[in-house]
Formats: sequence, structure tokens, C-alpha cells
Amino acid sequence: MKPKNYLVTNFGVMRISVCALVSLLLLGGLSVAQAQQNNPLASDPRAAGAGGVIFRAQCATCHGADAKGIASIEAPDLTLIWTQDGNTDGSVFATIQNGIPGSIMPAHGFPDTEIWMLVSYLRSIATGGATRPFTGDADTGQRLFNANCAGCHRVGGAGSALGPNLAGVTARRSQDSIASSIREPSASIGRGYKPISFLSVNQGRVQGVIKSEDAFSIQIMDSNQQLRGFMKSELSQMNREPNSLMPSFSIAELSDSELNDILGFLDQQR
Amino acid sequence: MQTINFSKPLNRMLAGLVLMSLPLAVVGQANSGSVSSGPSYEDILQGFADSSRWLTYSGDYSSKRHSPLAQITPENVQQLRPVWTFQTGTTTRGRGFETTPLVDEGVLYVTGSNNYAWAIDAKTGRSFWQYRRNLPSDLTYGASSPVNRGFGMLGNSLFMVTLDAHLLSLDRRSGEILWDVVLADYRVGYAATMAPLVIDGKVIVGISGGEYATRGFIDAFDPVTGERIWRFNTIPGPGEPGSETWPDDADILARGGGGSWMNGSYDPELDLIYWGVGNPNPDYFGATRPGDNLYSNSIVALEAATGQLRWHYQFTPHDLHDWDSNQIPVLAEIEWQGQPRAVVMQANRNGFFYVLDRVTGELLLGKPFTGTTWAREIGSDGRPIVLNDGSKGCLPDPWGGTNFMPPSFYPELDLFFLTARETCATFVPEEPQLAPGQASFGGVVFIDNEQGSGALRALDVHTGELRWEFTYPSPSFGGVMTTASGLVFAGDHEGNLMAFDAESGENLWHYQTGSRIWGAAPMTHILDGRQYVLIPSGTTLTAFALPEE
Repeated sequence: MKPKNYLVTNFGVMRISVCALVSLLLLGGLSVAQAQQNNPLASDPRAAGAGGVIFRAQCATCHGADAKGIASIEAPDLTLIWTQDGNTDGSVFATIQNGIPGSIMPAHGFPDTEIWMLVSYLRSIATGGATRPFTGDADTGQRLFNANCAGCHRVGGAGSALGPNLAGVTARRSQDSIASSIREPSASIGRGYKPISFLSVNQGRVQGVIKSEDAFSIQIMDSNQQLRGFMKSELSQMNREPNSLMPSFSIAELSDSELNDILGFLDQQR
Repeated sequence: MQTINFSKPLNRMLAGLVLMSLPLAVVGQANSGSVSSGPSYEDILQGFADSSRWLTYSGDYSSKRHSPLAQITPENVQQLRPVWTFQTGTTTRGRGFETTPLVDEGVLYVTGSNNYAWAIDAKTGRSFWQYRRNLPSDLTYGASSPVNRGFGMLGNSLFMVTLDAHLLSLDRRSGEILWDVVLADYRVGYAATMAPLVIDGKVIVGISGGEYATRGFIDAFDPVTGERIWRFNTIPGPGEPGSETWPDDADILARGGGGSWMNGSYDPELDLIYWGVGNPNPDYFGATRPGDNLYSNSIVALEAATGQLRWHYQFTPHDLHDWDSNQIPVLAEIEWQGQPRAVVMQANRNGFFYVLDRVTGELLLGKPFTGTTWAREIGSDGRPIVLNDGSKGCLPDPWGGTNFMPPSFYPELDLFFLTARETCATFVPEEPQLAPGQASFGGVVFIDNEQGSGALRALDVHTGELRWEFTYPSPSFGGVMTTASGLVFAGDHEGNLMAFDAESGENLWHYQTGSRIWGAAPMTHILDGRQYVLIPSGTTLTAFALPEE
């Protein structure tokens, strides 16, 4: 019996000390976490440049020299991280420091200062975001959006799914960038929206955008916004169209003022 | 270090245990009565002679990955279907489940990502034991590539390398560690991922870490004691042959790169080991290392007894593109200009296919198998005629015109099957800051994500010419296996395991595994009269067979 009592006693002591340790860690952790919410280098103009040097040496192999990610290894586009997933300086710091468990993204034992430099760099290359306030009339913009855009796009819950969801787009991209996508949609077509048409043995002519494909099959959203899969062996006249399914809006069709109104509406939907 | 002696007293003791338990065992099943001592070197040497076994990474020492099994044929392969799937529960986003299972006596021995390993019932996919190494939290190369390509095997011992750059011996019956030796200090940038090559009395291993300021090597260990027998440094020391291809600077030589992270092949008659060597470091920045930088991006032929270099051939002198030459060397006897010739073949990351005399290292053929814009021909001096240093774009990217995914050679057809990658990249070198444990690529690469495709290609080994190809929508890392029934099995980046007619290239069968096949090639074996084909993919290992009659 004696050894057992001894063990129980010992265990009790151990539990107390573990609890104390956990409390200490929690307190310490909180203060550290609080300290890490803000980038101490945020106002230092040299930080982003120094972070860029570290980025090219340590991060670019996976995330790409332009930080836009490498799809084949699932390395994400880092220019978009500030408008996705609710990232803050502190959360990006933590991701660099700790890595993402279970993924290819390792923990990095860099000094804190260097990680903050990286955070500054990533802030500096963030894609878009408004460079000037959106001045368009949101009410007019909503009417124009519903008439011209909602057939394919949506904001929030309303609209269609053939094109990208435009909620928050004004936080991610500049006015000029969004405007050029409206004027010349085929200049750059995003992954998941590349157009294709073909003839199916059983289902006739089909037009849509490519969501995925392998050597034997193709997965699309057709122009009726239906997700459909096909075996390539059943298809003919496969055409990978260079032009986006989105029509280009010339100034005659949509004036600069009207375009600004649409942007004003979209900005309201953030 | 713990040492287990496999000499007779232990066997006698085990035999005694089995005899004591015989009255119970008899009820269950027919027992041969003798205690299995596991495969010997002679068994490995036999290669595919006993196709119930697959005892080394490529199935035999030649690395042809060409099985004589012929139950699955072009006529019946359409009926191939999954029999079981094993879930590893461990994953590596961004890389793959890169192992080749070994099999003996109906048990698969499989390594996985993050240094997991298993013994699995080949009939049902159920595991007997699982091993998982407690890895340190400050891994270097091993953190970014937490993969493993398989076990080596001898007797009751399995051999496995680790992400913290150790070599382990495990007891195949229990997964227990028999011994554990350090290959190198992982903290400065080393890791190990390859499948150990077991030859007579030696376990041969290579090392990863060429993206860090490290120096590569190839080691031979005693399989019983774990003692190191020899080491070949892939970058020479000051004054040694090959050092003249580097600056006269001991520091640079000591961190010259030259990883040896894939399996080599072995010619037992010549007693030579053939091994590919990786890129010099820094990968993209060459100004601090003028010269050819031997033995980076070379194949080396080493004397198995001593580790002494017999010959070498450098595919990419003074590499600036991370084109490791670790692709597995394939040994074959082919007719060359009317004469039988012992050759070693390699499809290289630089986009060229090479045939070399494996006795002398003489270059017999070097021909592009991709649209590489780096070079289009090899000069009469055996050196590439370089057209593009990478600043203009559209070479093979740093992942290469092919990579470590195993190819296959079909001797009766004289066809070499490989996975080709057509890619486009622009290289921008930049002098790196060197620090232990910090990667030093020496610049950045812009890879054109909009371009890129893959293909399974069949090359005529006499000319390097393309006999047929099957294209994939994206550059693939899936490996290849052939079987004597006239089939090619290959995996792709979209997750398909496929079968092709080896002569015509016609696709005969495919199965979508649900995750890309990356760095792994199929293997095959026969169990209770039924041929199985296995492929790792994502977090699964799946076994395929024809329906039971």
C-alpha cells in the first residue's frame, strides 16, 4: 500500500505544480499574445525592404518570387492574406513562427525582428485595396449591378455563381484593377473561370467554365450554372476559348460614371 | 546504440518458442515449422525471380522496375479493381506519399510521411504494427519535405532513414528499434528521405540538404552493428581529385551541396554502385563557385567494397537551376551498334536522356526528351552546348524535365518509360546570406503557372527518340512500372493510376485515387496466386487486383 500512497501523493503534488505552470503559461502567453498583435516595425519604412530580402531567401521557393503562390504545391497567394481568413499582423507573425502543422509550411526559428520584417513586407505587397475612396452612388450602382452583373456574379447571398463572388472585392483590388476587369475581362481569366465549349455525345453542345480536369474527365460549371462532369472520351470539338464568358463593357455600354457607381455599391457590400 | 546479434543462439531460442506453442498453432493453420529468418542478400540478388517478394526499392538492383508478372494483361486490365485501401493518417501537403512498399511472406513493409512506418497484411490491408518517430521541432530540410521513400530490408531487419538525418534498424516483426545511428547534424540543414540500398554486408544511404550550406555524402553501414564502413563525400576535399573544379577555398568545398537523396543501383558483377548527385549550393547563384563543381549533378560509380570512385559523368556542369541528378540510374544490357553493352541510363532533370557505358562511364547517347531551351545537344566533348542560362525563361523549372519519380525500362521492347514535365521558369540569381540551418537557394525563380503540362513518354533507348506519349493536363510527379505482359502502369498529378499498352501507348485502364500521385511509382507482387498492383497516393495505399474467379 505504501508505494501506491506515495504515488498518489506524488501525483497530487505534480498536478498542483502542473496547474500552476499552466496558469503561468496562460498569463505569460496572454501578455506575449497581446504584445504580438501589433507590428513594432509598422512605422519603420526600412522594414518592408529588409523583409523582402528575407522573403526571397526563405519563402520564395514555395510561395513564388512574386509571393503569388505555386498552385502545384498548394502554396497560397500571400498577396491576398490580408483580405482572407481575418488575418492580423499578429496572426501572420504566428503562422510564420509556428508554421501550419500537418502542412508543408514549417515553423521558422527566425528572431522576432526578422519575422516582423516579413510581416511588413507582406503588408507592402498586399494586392489592391482601395487607393482612394469610392465615390460612386451605391443606389444607382446596385440598380446597374442587378441589371448587368448579377446574372453571373453575386455579392453576399444575392446573384449568380458563374463568375466570382464580388463581396469584398474592393478590399482586395484597386479601382483601376477592377475597372480593367470590367472593360477587358479576357485579359486575365482566373483559375476556375476559364471558358470551354464542346459537343457531348449524349448532351449536345455545352459551354461553361473549367473547374477541374484530369487526363480522362473534365468538371465544369455550364452556362446555366449547373456543375457537370464529363468523360473526355464522350466529347468532341473541345474548344478552350481565349475569351472570358464575361462580356466586355465599353464606355458606350457602361460609362465611367456608371462604372464608379457599381464600385460604390460593391464597396458598400464589404 | 543497441546492437542485436542475429547469430544462431537467438534463432535457436525463437525456434524453441515456436515449438512450445505448436500445439496451439496447429489448430490455426498449417505452419512450415521453421522460423523465418527473413530475406538474405542472395534473395535480394535474385530480384524478381520470386515475385511474391519485392525486397528493394526498385524490386531489383538494376532499378528497371520491370516485373515478370503477367497475370494482369492488356486484355484483362480493364477488370482491375481496388481490393483494399490503407489509410496512413499522416500527410504532407505540398509533397506526396512517396514510398515503395517492400513485401515478403505476405507482409508489406511501408514507410510514410513524417517518419511513420507500418507492417501491413498484404491480403487485407490491415496493419500489424505502426512505428512513429518522435521528431525534433527544429527540423531543417526535413520540415519542408517530411517524406520518406521506403525501407531497405535484410533478414529480420528493416532499415529506414529519418528527417533528423538518422539511420534506423527496425525489427520487422515488431517495429522495435534495433539500432539508431546519426548520419549528420540535421540542425545545419541535413535530412534523409531515401530508401536504403542493402547489398552484401552493407546498407548504403544518401543524404538530403543541398538547399542548405551542407556537403553531401554516400555512406555504407554494417547491417548488424550499425557501424559505418565507408563514406564517399560527393564534394571533394581540398587537394582531392575534383577540387580543381571549385575555387581554392576549403570553406566553399565544405558547404558545396551535392545531396545524394535518392536510391542508387548496384551491379553485383562489377561490384559497382551507381548513384546520382544533387545540385551545388547555392542553387541558383554561381558567382561564388566558379568551375564545374564536381561531383554535383553527376552520376558516380563507386566500388561497393571501399566507396572509392571508379568513374563519374557530370550531366549539368556548374548547375544554376537546382537540377539535381538524383534520378534513379537504370542498369541494362542492350545491343549498342551491333554489340552487347552493359549500360546505365538516366532521364535527367535537365531534360536530357542519357545512356552511358556502365563499365567505363563513356557517354553513348545524350538527347533531349523535353522541349528544354537550356541546351539541345551534347558536344563531342561530352558537355552540353548551353543556349540559355535561365534568365530568358522557359528552361525546365527547378523541379526539372523529370524528377525522382521512378522510370521503367522494358528490355524486350528496348523502351524507357518516364514522366516528362514541360514547364517554363525565369531564374533570378541573388547572393544569399549563409547561415547554418538556413536555406540558401541564392535567388528566386518565377514559374509560369499558366504554362506547364506533363506526359508519360516511351523513348527508344538506341536513339532517345519518342515512340509514343500520353499527355497529362499538368506537370506530374507520378512514377512508372512495367510488367512483362506488355503493360505500363503510371500515376499522374491529377491522381489517376493508369495502365497502358507498352507498345502502342493506348490507355487501357485508369482509377482516380483521389489525390495526386507524387514521387511514388507502382509496385506489384503475387500473393496466393493473385497479382496485386499497389500505389501510394495522398494518405492512402491502395492494392488492386483482378476479380477472384
